[in-house]
Amino acid sequence: MNWKKFDTGKTPTWCPGCPNYLLWLALKQSLAELKLKREKIVIAYDIGCAGNMADFIKTYGVHTLHGRAIPVAMGVKYFRPELTVIVVGGDGGIYGEGLNHLVTAARANIDITVLVANNHLYSLTTGQASPTTPKGAASKSTPQGTDLNPLPAVAMVKKVNPQVLAETISPQQHLKEKIKKAIKFPGFALLDIDQTCVTFGKLLRK
Amino acid sequence: MAQPTTVKIVGPAGTGIKSIGRLLSRILAKHRFFLHDYSEYPSLVRGGHNTYQVSFSPQENFAVFRTVDFLFSLQPGHWQEHQKEISPQGLIFSEETPPAGKLKKNFLFFPLSELARDLPPVVANTVSLGAIGFLLNLKKEICQNTLATTFPQAKKENLRAFQKGWEFAQQHWSEKRLPPFSQGKGEKEIVDGNEAFGWGFLKGKGDFYAAYPMTPSTGTLHFLAEKQKEAKIIVRHPEDEIAVANMAAGAAFAGARAAVGTSGGGLALMNETISFCGIAEIGVVFYLVQRVGPATGMPTWTAQGDLLFAVFSGHGEFPKVVIAPGDQKESFQFSWQALNLAAELQTPIIVVSDKFLAESSANFSLEKQQKEVKIKKGKIVINPREDFRRYSWQNKDGCSPRTLPGTKNGEFLANSYEHDQSGFSTENAFVAAKMAQKRMKKLKKALQITPKPQLFGRPKNLIVSWGSTKGSILAAIKNSSKWGFLQIKTLWPLHPEIGKILSQAQKIVLVENNQLGQLETLLKTHFSFSVKKRLLKFTGRPFFPEEIKNELEKI
Ligand SMILES: Cc1ncc(C[n+]2csc(CCOP(=O)(O)OP(=O)(O)O)c2C)c(N)n1
Ligand code: SF4
Ligand SMILES: [Mg+2]
Repeated sequence: MNWKKFDTGKTPTWCPGCPNYLLWLALKQSLAELKLKREKIVIAYDIGCAGNMADFIKTYGVHTLHGRAIPVAMGVKYFRPELTVIVVGGDGGIYGEGLNHLVTAARANIDITVLVANNHLYSLTTGQASPTTPKGAASKSTPQGTDLNPLPAVAMVKKVNPQVLAETISPQQHLKEKIKKAIKFPGFALLDIDQTCVTFGKLLRK
Repeated sequence: MAQPTTVKIVGPAGTGIKSIGRLLSRILAKHRFFLHDYSEYPSLVRGGHNTYQVSFSPQENFAVFRTVDFLFSLQPGHWQEHQKEISPQGLIFSEETPPAGKLKKNFLFFPLSELARDLPPVVANTVSLGAIGFLLNLKKEICQNTLATTFPQAKKENLRAFQKGWEFAQQHWSEKRLPPFSQGKGEKEIVDGNEAFGWGFLKGKGDFYAAYPMTPSTGTLHFLAEKQKEAKIIVRHPEDEIAVANMAAGAAFAGARAAVGTSGGGLALMNETISFCGIAEIGVVFYLVQRVGPATGMPTWTAQGDLLFAVFSGHGEFPKVVIAPGDQKESFQFSWQALNLAAELQTPIIVVSDKFLAESSANFSLEKQQKEVKIKKGKIVINPREDFRRYSWQNKDGCSPRTLPGTKNGEFLANSYEHDQSGFSTENAFVAAKMAQKRMKKLKKALQITPKPQLFGRPKNLIVSWGSTKGSILAAIKNSSKWGFLQIKTLWPLHPEIGKILSQAQKIVLVENNQLGQLETLLKTHFSFSVKKRLLKFTGRPFFPEEIKNELEKI
């Protein structure tokens, strides 16, 4: 199946070199290789650079509120279990604003796949500290360095429910295979995709 | 016509006053009396002071009254704070020596603990029920049958306790017994407002209900959770109200007839999602059962303080509908109608109730009510063309046909960002304005399909109110040739008929369970009129007919 049928004809608005291009491609290819029909897929997008993928993938989609993609996805899945339900969001939305929803989805082991573009920053809002920003790293909102410990999201989710699939993966290697595996996983799956924001990421290295 | 008879049972929390009260209401309904009940309880599980009262009559009765004819104090002393409610011939039953002073003649010694001595403690209250049954001249068999079916586990003990109370009353108070009542025509079953909403949801083919426990909305969550299997619906109690609202939005997007239940604090957390449903055009019903705010306020007490909050909930400008049932029957009707409105208008629908209505019972016939139910699904496309545009503005009513996931060629994006006709994000000035206008057209359509204001009696001297005050107002003006009542059933959008009726009135009296007179503020955004008098009560207690009547007499 041709993955291009998942294109909407819209040109992505990400910065040149943004790791979200890789995620976008891998997701479309995964859907195609899994032979999923466009109309049988619902993707709930969070708000943020990663969530902006909403305009660029042709399936049923919901561009939700910041932090709220997971409960929307859960509502879809509870009511229509036959659909393939995927969440695309950033670390700010999924690990911060909506963390309680992530924990609950893991507790429920509900059969949805959550793809977190974890760039350790709030990028769309031009680079503030996120829940996964390393302690001490400077950002626009924490110029003296954040004084918070980063959230070990994957470890936490696994602790909450050992039955779920949760792993941190690189944005380059085996992304497609990992996404396919996560979608096929008969329960809750979290892929924490370790990204670097090419535009604001350098802030963190200071 | 005589005022209905009122019985009140009071005592400490945790002594089962509510369950015995509910049972009495059920028994009265089985006699076909017209009844309304009301109970007060603190936000505690044990201790404090609980009350239950019921007013009933074989003639049509709209409300629960303040003036009590029979007051049962299940423990000594608890009657004291209700002294002023006793009617001149009213009776107080308690296990203590009668007080000195003018209440002495109203006082009857009721040796409850002695009568209950060889009974299991759980059925002790049933002794009072026996005495009440005798004094009210109820049919013993109806009492016993209802008792047996309500408490099938402790049937024997309950029947024994009932008999003890009945016999004691027969031996000691037969001169106090009421003469037999004539047969009434009230419906034989009862519901409270929360259950009525739950029934309306089920009969209106609701299929997804989510709620986070919050008094006084929790009754509907319990009711539907209990019925979910048999009714094949999904009921969820998610992690917080934000999840509640978003989950319902997801389910509604996927095709569910979805509702959520909460009180003011929960609706505050749902506000962003209300706005989201507005822009993404997702029809969800928000059942808001008001209690006293602000913040945690007084959780188990009644108020109408969230009217403006509901009407103006959600940031940004988008169409929404706010309707408020005035009694238990309307709680049923507005529930299924709200599901229809959500499906047809594809926008948030808020149903505003309150503690007084939601947790008080009245006669109800499901059989009769469900005959009126009509299901409207709105515009759904089953075979969309390849160029399907979910948010097409080629329509007069602002409601674009939608597709449900699973429908080929119907793929679209439901977007919290402003979007074009296909759902893609846009910041184009023309498209943004055009979309905002398209959505707002729904308000016009809403005026055609939402409940109309209802005028009771003549409009010359007019009481204007909304929601749960309806019963007490109708009772207060019963047989009055002077006063009429305008019930505003749809609080948003405002029907133009309201303005016409107001303009005919000479004297307008506003009745609201809030401090600011929020209905008046709201109506004045559309209509010009002046108010003769405002009856505003914000003590956490509902209006009783007597209070309204007294105030009207002063005008
Ligand atoms: C309720 C709410 N608060 C704040 C924002 C502003 N906001 C938009 S995106 C974002 C952070 C996004 O960070 P992340 O989820 O990591 O996504 P990224 O842009 O890094 O991909 C914030 C705070 C918002 N849209 N809504
Ligand atoms: S700001 Fe960062 S995350 Fe956002 S598009 Fe640019 S590179 Fe990607
Ligand atoms: Mg981020």
